[in-house]
Amino acid sequence: MSTSEAAVQAHLHEHGGHDHEEPFLRKYIFCTDHKMIARQFLFMSLFFLLVGGLLAAMMRWQLGFPSQPMPGAGGFPDTMAPGGIVLPEFYNSLVTMHGTIMIFFAIMPLLVGLFGNLLIPLQIGAPDMAFPRLNMASFWIAVPAGLLMLSSFFVEGGAAGAGWTSYAPLSASGEWTGVYLGQQLWLVSLIVLGFSSLAGAVNYITTIISMRAPGMTWFRLPLSTWALFITAILVLLAIPILTGALIMLLFDQTIGTGFFRPEVGGEPILWQHLFWFFGHPEVYILILPAMGITSDVLANRARKPIFGYHAMVLAIIAIAFLGWIVWGHHMFQSGMNPLLGTSFMISTMAIAVPSAIKTFNWLGTLWHGDIHLDVPMLHALSFVSMFIIGGLSGIFMANTPVDMYIHDTYFIVAHIHYVLFGGSLFAIFAGITFWFPKMFGRMMHEGVGKVHFVLTFILYNIVFFPMHNLGLRGMMRRLYDPTQYEYLQPLQPMNEFISIAAFGLVTVQFLFAGNFVWSLFRGRTAGPNPWKSNTLEWSVPSPPPHGNFDGMPVVYRGPYEYSHPDAAEDYWPQNQPPPPEVGPGPEVALSPAPEGVGP
Amino acid sequence: MSEDAHKESPYFLIWGVLFALTVAEVFYAFMELPQFWLAFGLIVMAVWKALLVALYYMHLRFEPRRLWVLAASPLPLAVILVVVVIQEF
Amino acid sequence: MSTAAAGRLPMPGMKVYNLKLGMWIFLLSEVMFFTGLIGSYIILRFAHPEHFAAPGVVLNVPLTAFNTFVLICSSVTMVKAFAAVEQGDQKGLQRWLLATIALGTFFVGVQAVEYSVLSSEGFVPMAELYHAVGRGAVHAEGAAEAAVVGGPLYGATFYAMTGFHGAHVSIGVLCLLYVYWRARKGKYSAASLGGVEIMGLYWHFVDLVWILLFTIVYLI
Repeated sequence: MSTSEAAVQAHLHEHGGHDHEEPFLRKYIFCTDHKMIARQFLFMSLFFLLVGGLLAAMMRWQLGFPSQPMPGAGGFPDTMAPGGIVLPEFYNSLVTMHGTIMIFFAIMPLLVGLFGNLLIPLQIGAPDMAFPRLNMASFWIAVPAGLLMLSSFFVEGGAAGAGWTSYAPLSASGEWTGVYLGQQLWLVSLIVLGFSSLAGAVNYITTIISMRAPGMTWFRLPLSTWALFITAILVLLAIPILTGALIMLLFDQTIGTGFFRPEVGGEPILWQHLFWFFGHPEVYILILPAMGITSDVLANRARKPIFGYHAMVLAIIAIAFLGWIVWGHHMFQSGMNPLLGTSFMISTMAIAVPSAIKTFNWLGTLWHGDIHLDVPMLHALSFVSMFIIGGLSGIFMANTPVDMYIHDTYFIVAHIHYVLFGGSLFAIFAGITFWFPKMFGRMMHEGVGKVHFVLTFILYNIVFFPMHNLGLRGMMRRLYDPTQYEYLQPLQPMNEFISIAAFGLVTVQFLFAGNFVWSLFRGRTAGPNPWKSNTLEWSVPSPPPHGNFDGMPVVYRGPYEYSHPDAAEDYWPQNQPPPPEVGPGPEVALSPAPEGVGP
Repeated sequence: MSEDAHKESPYFLIWGVLFALTVAEVFYAFMELPQFWLAFGLIVMAVWKALLVALYYMHLRFEPRRLWVLAASPLPLAVILVVVVIQEF
Repeated sequence: MSTAAAGRLPMPGMKVYNLKLGMWIFLLSEVMFFTGLIGSYIILRFAHPEHFAAPGVVLNVPLTAFNTFVLICSSVTMVKAFAAVEQGDQKGLQRWLLATIALGTFFVGVQAVEYSVLSSEGFVPMAELYHAVGRGAVHAEGAAEAAVVGGPLYGATFYAMTGFHGAHVSIGVLCLLYVYWRARKGKYSAASLGGVEIMGLYWHFVDLVWILLFTIVYLI
């Protein structure tokens, strides 16, 4: 024991005690403080969210008004959109880059980079991450990855155009898409981003396992930390598979190996398997933290304990585990051994069980609660309802025969946006508004926030719900010009309608951006605990100082003791010592975490 | 890692076993045997060597049980990937 | 142990300090990375046996068996370096680290020679340029007319797997140089040996991967 402790002490000494004022560069740019890194991830991903949204708007223009000049877009180079008319090759790039940027550079860094960094140390009662410098590296590796991705728009041949899944052989050689350097930049960017995710995941897992405050047992962790923990495990084990596959594809592209090139004996199907073996856990990387955030917000704004805390935790674990054995349902159309197809169908449907457990528990949490309909709550509620729609359409598509018919249509586009936009992004809005005071010390504007929510919610459903219909009527995804096909021409008014709503949807996001910027400087000053929440991050000032806690917090109870009969108020902070006559004494609560639960 | 037990670890003995197994593998690989038994025997020896390195050189033998669980956790995923995808061909 | 750190470090359940736990967690992702590469090789070999050759036909087994032995030796020297620092033996630590560096560098050197010979014999990763005829035919009379052994997938998977392993060894040697430099400055002691221990974990992991690669790629 002695040597390890000494090593730890030395380590602690090396990193502890930075209370003095830091120079600008150390404080804002090359900062090792987890809260600053969280804010850096926030600003980076909001920028990419805007870029991804504008790419989507251009796609919607082409779909709604095929081959008409985009208004006010005459400045586009002739290789992209001469005179504002989107070229087919550029449309391919738009589709690819919208998907890639939204998934890898907006949603994932928001959920994992922002909330992981912000919440994990604060919620477990730690002064910082286990490896603060690695944490800083994680952000500063993500930035060049993003720049590489963006720069691919400006190289010869344009940005990658083989879809965000980059199926081989389309992506394996530039002769099919006309994109050489762009596709290679896409691959390199994602390989680089993999290192960033890996650094983050190692940090999160180590921190949660080993840096919890006394009394913070596994089953006293807030659900957002639980979700981020499981997510980090998925990142850790899934991203390397993608990295390996990307490297092989990069070799196919650059030096002419034959891994995925059928003309020299390679196996394009192998790419699909490797990609989706990563890709399906990735889907849960994008939804589990959103579920955790929703759980925290719902319990707090309904002033009730979360319904079935243990079931919620086990459901997260079950979803993550099942997520490893369902990847084939993305590939039913590629043709598959029927035995394999059936197993993938059954395992996929099995995921509905833990998902339904979570949904019913959220409803149970709301039942007879004292519901406060403020902005975070509204977004969290819409997460639950949109996740139900997206989840149910997921069950349709788990059926191999149904999926054969609707997979490569707009039905799948509707489905993914119901879970990723309706699910993850609404939860992100909920999380940002909920933890904005903790990040910046000010509240976001409530009125503007509500207007933004209502408009976003309505327009979002107008945009994406009709896409189910388009898909069932046979409109293919990634289609450049629907009017080319006679049987799709009657759908054109619907496409136009969707496009106009989509422009509205992008526009109202500027309400959020404006509210965000305004609140940074002019928002109402928030106290340490504006939401009267139990979890540890609300027991410290907003924003918390370097080192977070003044001394070591001690945890006496679970995170969701709202409206508890023994508590003086309707909330009972985790670190508030119990009154002497009720509950176990501090000696009992102070005992170390029980064995039993481990990763 | 600070337990005193593994200070007496037979590092050189393990090294001898690893060396012997490597030699045995090379000779075994060129024996006239059915393909299945060749592959089976070689994989057994390779896994044996890998386990020796993990248990003694990486000190896994002297670590808490939880680290074993942690270290073994990706192995089922590796098996799932290979066994499932191979059904396709 | 000060009260401030009580209950936090080392964590209550694991009894493993952060640096080591972090290295183990990192190694898990390395396992998955090599799973992707080795798994692809197994799958491709199963799907296209005609692209691959029996052991010893194209690859030089005796040379690589010797190289395997070199890497195993480097694992012993690494673990001896750790044992030395555990007992506070600074000289021993530096000597064994230096031996590990030398053996690791030698391994990479042999691999470079192996690569250059193999590629001169037509065993290359580029699918269109692959024309390996096997070690038996390459120096014999009429090598130009000899039948090509294996196919492009053989070259591609071989270089991907062994190349990324070699890259791991090279990175390991660089890290060892850093550890050696710190050891020279007396940064390690029996009470502070985290750096040596995680270096060892990484190094043994790389050795472990090679043990599996040698069997799967060269002998089966």
